[in-house]
Amino acid sequence: MGQNTTAADRSPDLSVHLGPLRLKNPVMVASGTFGYGQEYEDFLDIREIGAIVVKGISLAPRSGNPPPRIVETPAGMINAIGLENVGLEVFLDAKLPHLRDLGIPTIVNIFGNTVEEYAELARRLDGQPGVAALEINISCPNVKQGGMVFGTDPTLACEVVGAVRHRTSLPLITKLTPNVTRIGEVARAAVDAGSDMLSCINTVAALAVDIYSRRPKLANVIGGLSGPAIKPIALRCTYEVLQAVRCPVIGIGGIASATDALEFLLLGARAVQIGTANFTDPAVARRVVEGIERFLEVEGFQSIEEFIGALDLECTFPFAEASCQSLDLDG
Amino acid sequence: MAKQQEAARLLEQEAVAHQTYRMKLHSPTIAGEARAGQFLMLQVRDGNDPLLRRPFSFHRIQREEGAVEILYRVVGRGTWLMSQMDPGSTISLIGPLGNGFDLSNSGAGPVFLAAGGVGIAPLKELVDRLLSDPSRSAGEEVHLFYGARTAAELLDASLLAAPALRIHWSTDDGTMGFRGTVTQVIEQVVRDEGVRPTRLYACGPLAMQHRLGLWALREGIDTQLSLESLMACGFGACLGCALPAANPDHPTSDHYLHVCKDGPIFSAGSIQWDRIRQQQIAPPIFRCI
Repeated sequence: MGQNTTAADRSPDLSVHLGPLRLKNPVMVASGTFGYGQEYEDFLDIREIGAIVVKGISLAPRSGNPPPRIVETPAGMINAIGLENVGLEVFLDAKLPHLRDLGIPTIVNIFGNTVEEYAELARRLDGQPGVAALEINISCPNVKQGGMVFGTDPTLACEVVGAVRHRTSLPLITKLTPNVTRIGEVARAAVDAGSDMLSCINTVAALAVDIYSRRPKLANVIGGLSGPAIKPIALRCTYEVLQAVRCPVIGIGGIASATDALEFLLLGARAVQIGTANFTDPAVARRVVEGIERFLEVEGFQSIEEFIGALDLECTFPFAEASCQSLDLDG
Repeated sequence: MAKQQEAARLLEQEAVAHQTYRMKLHSPTIAGEARAGQFLMLQVRDGNDPLLRRPFSFHRIQREEGAVEILYRVVGRGTWLMSQMDPGSTISLIGPLGNGFDLSNSGAGPVFLAAGGVGIAPLKELVDRLLSDPSRSAGEEVHLFYGARTAAELLDASLLAAPALRIHWSTDDGTMGFRGTVTQVIEQVVRDEGVRPTRLYACGPLAMQHRLGLWALREGIDTQLSLESLMACGFGACLGCALPAANPDHPTSDHYLHVCKDGPIFSAGSIQWDRIRQQQIAPPIFRCI
């Protein structure tokens, strides 16, 4: 190759701005599916990931729900882990330093039973070196108190986000639940209360029973559905949220390939989180980053920014030119 | 000891008992690291159905050949699909996972192994390791107590036979060996022959391991029980494979162990059995309607 390097010879730029955050690529791993990072270090260099969202942290350690906690369903799984976590102290002492040393943007997912607990978590995490942002979990369907209650009522959502905003200058992401009639209203409430960004969706409230034992398959009876089964719901929610707010949105739900991730980015999500797929393919995040890069190269995009939000809604029916081109992005 | 994701080639697939199959897989990296009592997560096939990998313990580890064997019973769609695979197929594995059996000091006296049904899976590799242990005193026997509901569910004796291994067969219906449970045979041998094991290794249905565990706790015998659970990842991320832990300081408090990272091998005293039994963690039964 000579000196006349053209734009086409350069690798596409995958970096994204997310409000105050700048990430080297738009691929994150979702809370509760990646532990505190160390669980995955045998399988990939976790520094290749845009950001890690750690397992939800509460002030005190939580032991979680009784088993059975998970059940497989068609193209998905339902979980009711119950936010088992090591608690803030252990996280700060034993988990965060390692991620900080690796230099990975670390987003701390926080969860409380009360508004005060959310606020206290924000206060204690404010100014902690190595914390890039907070993700406020107001959308967990598997716990009796708190959790989804805050995420299904715009007034309560506003109260939680406002309390957290008051206690920290860290960038705030509010994670939304799909288990509402109008997700856009909760989205607006969170942004009005000071959330810099939104992530959607958390799991879809779900249930599975066994006709032979006549029992629910989860001890908690109700759990949260995740995996490929929820991707169309997640895309719809992301679309509605993008129509309701102007802040950066992070798409989550059933992403297991570069194609899946690109679908959310096409809608206008500025980043994505991979969840359940981490369990079955622990190196999936690297594959998705590589697949996105290959797609941009082949399709002639110089940066991911050019592709984000490129959805053509002016289409006419029937489609004049049906595209039957398909790249193997995930090989 | 690093965990690996490895594309394995199916070398052999053989029906070895009723609804029970043995798979031999060429997976040199995992075979090179695996120890008795550990397990792997097997991806049944590409795509979303079934979505999750299935956990299987190592039935045999053949390091020189770069191969591992698993033994599995068809209990659902995933294992049924596995049983239809032909040699030459590529199968994604993650392993080795979990803690594995503790073999230290197991040469000091007689050792008991108890297998219920397909619970024989991890005990075959364990038998091989115990019998080849140079620190094992000559004349100290390894007793394998092996039971199932009926004779058709048992592996053929030729697959297990080894010098210095005494096999005590039992079936619920009396079609092979003693009519009754593995626990009853163990109690009989202890009573009639005056043999007292230094350690009990077991794998099988939860009810069997519960009974055996309580017996061993009463007798003060060290236990190494191989337990199972539904799990999504196998390496400590999903937290789905929780078992209630015994906590002598706080007997009523909730505390959980995780089969994938704290186990799958546990001592009987570390589990809060009553709470598992209440919740009935039963493997799904495969029925066609």
